[in-house]
Amino acid sequence: MNGMMLVARREITTQIRTRSFVISLLVTVVVVGALAFAPKLFDRPDSYTIGTVNSQQLPLEAAAPDIEFEWRSFPDEAAATRAVLDGDVDAVLVDGAKVFTDGQIETELGVLLQSTHREAKLGAAGVQIAPLQMESVGADTRYQAARTGIAVVLVLVLFMLILGQVMMVAMGVVEEKGSRIVEILLSSVRPWQLLGGKVIGLGVLGLINLGAILVAGIGASFASGFAADFPPGMTGIVAGVLVWFVLGYAFFATLGAALASLVSRQEEVGNVMSPMTMLIMAAYFVAFYATTDPTGTLATIVSFVPPFSSMVMPVRMAATEVPLWEVAASAGLMVLAVLAILAFGAKVYERAVLRTGARVKLGEVLRAK
Amino acid sequence: MLEISGLRKRFAGGPGAPEGKQALDGIGFTVRPGEMFGFVGANGAGKSTTMRIVMGVLKADAGTVSWRGEPMTHADRQRFGYMPEERGLYQKMRAGEQIEYFGRLHGMSQANAKKATEDLLERLSLTDRRNSSVESLSLGNQQRVQLAVALVHDPELLILDEPFSGLDPIAVDALATVLQERCRGGVPVIFSSHQLELVERLCDSVGIVSAGRMVASGTVDELRAAEGGMLRVVVRDPAPGWADGLPGQVDVQGNRHVLVTEDGDDQDILRRAIKAGHVEHFGVEQPTLTEIFKEAVA
Ligand SMILES: Nc1ncnc2c1ncn2[C@@H]1O[C@H](COP(=O)(O)OP(=O)(O)OP(=O)(O)O)[C@@H](O)[C@H]1O
Ligand SMILES: [Mg+2]
Repeated sequence: MNGMMLVARREITTQIRTRSFVISLLVTVVVVGALAFAPKLFDRPDSYTIGTVNSQQLPLEAAAPDIEFEWRSFPDEAAATRAVLDGDVDAVLVDGAKVFTDGQIETELGVLLQSTHREAKLGAAGVQIAPLQMESVGADTRYQAARTGIAVVLVLVLFMLILGQVMMVAMGVVEEKGSRIVEILLSSVRPWQLLGGKVIGLGVLGLINLGAILVAGIGASFASGFAADFPPGMTGIVAGVLVWFVLGYAFFATLGAALASLVSRQEEVGNVMSPMTMLIMAAYFVAFYATTDPTGTLATIVSFVPPFSSMVMPVRMAATEVPLWEVAASAGLMVLAVLAILAFGAKVYERAVLRTGARVKLGEVLRAK
Repeated sequence: MLEISGLRKRFAGGPGAPEGKQALDGIGFTVRPGEMFGFVGANGAGKSTTMRIVMGVLKADAGTVSWRGEPMTHADRQRFGYMPEERGLYQKMRAGEQIEYFGRLHGMSQANAKKATEDLLERLSLTDRRNSSVESLSLGNQQRVQLAVALVHDPELLILDEPFSGLDPIAVDALATVLQERCRGGVPVIFSSHQLELVERLCDSVGIVSAGRMVASGTVDELRAAEGGMLRVVVRDPAPGWADGLPGQVDVQGNRHVLVTEDGDDQDILRRAIKAGHVEHFGVEQPTLTEIFKEAVA
């Protein structure tokens, strides 16, 4: 195994054993899992219980196939009234002519009862009415709510994971530099191996986190029934998220490591990293905006601009349908940006990491021969 | 064989010292296989800077470092053991795993690294600390872990910057034994230290550095010969003024007079002493390394 992989393995094994890693993994998994149940809580009730007194059941199931209906029959109005007041039933149809409810009836149920009642009466009188044909001439908006929901969760997850892992990379770099471990490390491995191993190791941990979140989210969605609302191409969206995470993380982690190598003390990390944190925040805000307006000019343009594209494009892909060529073009640009930052970051890191003491100026590092 | 010659290094000045600092001014020395080389010098003399240049942590402005007759490369350094002046370990990592990790980074197989780690833990009395995180160890024990990190991969050359500082006498002996073993196996060992008695006891040769220059080097005996012995004469109840005209210093200790001198005719001095009183002691004393050191850097 070469030096870079050994470095990566050390990062993974030491992190994975810490309590904070396990706890934060569990918490995110639980939160994301719970989110998959959220739509169900806020949705209309999926079922109604309806009683009858001396009436025929109405063909409600045929009119609203998504909703479940449970029928009960009561011997008289008094029993029916009691059931309504106790909340055992949502409404009771009495003598095929009136409906008992507790307070106001839910609009949806009221409209359903009225229209099926009317239809039944008309049918009995021999009038046949062809149902209205629904036809959308705009985009397919059936999945819009689900898409927006997925996109919002995604932007949060990407933002937290990228920022979190990048900070870990930066702190690791400073730990090694400040404690002079680099002096020993660099007599056995090359700077790029040390940098690469650290970025890869913490990236793998990020992917483990992301994988757990995706599995928890998708698993919980199937459990809650939310998966039925998944837009088509969900596999593509998931694969896209993984790829974009890798690209975005590689970019920011390398940049973060390079910046962190300029300082020798943990207290200085926040300061030296602030330009990069701002970059991530900017990407986050545009991505968040893109969840509501994924086809708007701002979101569209920014989804091509590295490194912002690494957060905005996956969000757009979740929020709307993005043509494949756009995704490919944007990913290509991002790959180029990652390669450029790798070259830049490795150079800065190599030149700065052994210069302990006061903060090293970036310009000075770049000018050095 | 490690050959260092003409090393020069200037540090850029900061706000406090705008003119900068010439840390090394043409330092050079040679360490042969199986030789233990003691590197001594006052604070700020340039010992650490020299070692850091040899390990590639710093770049020299001029001069060469060669190993087995060739300019030293990164691949060579991978087979060296280095202990920096400012100790560096992963604080949260367990002692045993840390030693093993550095062994593997130096290219050892998992099994070999594990075995070497166990051996060193045993040698340095750390076996029961194997699974403690470094931050929970006492300073001296952290120091032992640091040494184990430098030794684990059976290095071909050892460069240790003040390896004995902070160790208790038992650990000093344990480390000395380990270093002597490695030395006998043909490994050149260089260490810096301010404990000159220790250097005198352990080292085959010594280099004294002052202000970035090598002011004396050679075996301890050679240095002594160069320095020359001091004649010490103790006379009880001498006649007053007996030593008038003799070179050296007379120290009066009660009824004894102690004469210490570097030159003069010893036979003549002896005759005068016998005439003056009862001679209790007459002999040439070898200078200690501390005396040689003080003389050399003065
Ligand atoms: N990074 C640096 N920047 C500026 N000056 C430095 C730097 N490192 C060392 N020096 C200067 O170089 C000179 C030699 O320092 P060095 O650390 O080599 O001394 P030393 O012999 O190891 O001393 P000590 O016995 O105190 O460890 C000192 O004057 C020191 O101030
Ligand atoms: Mg020093």
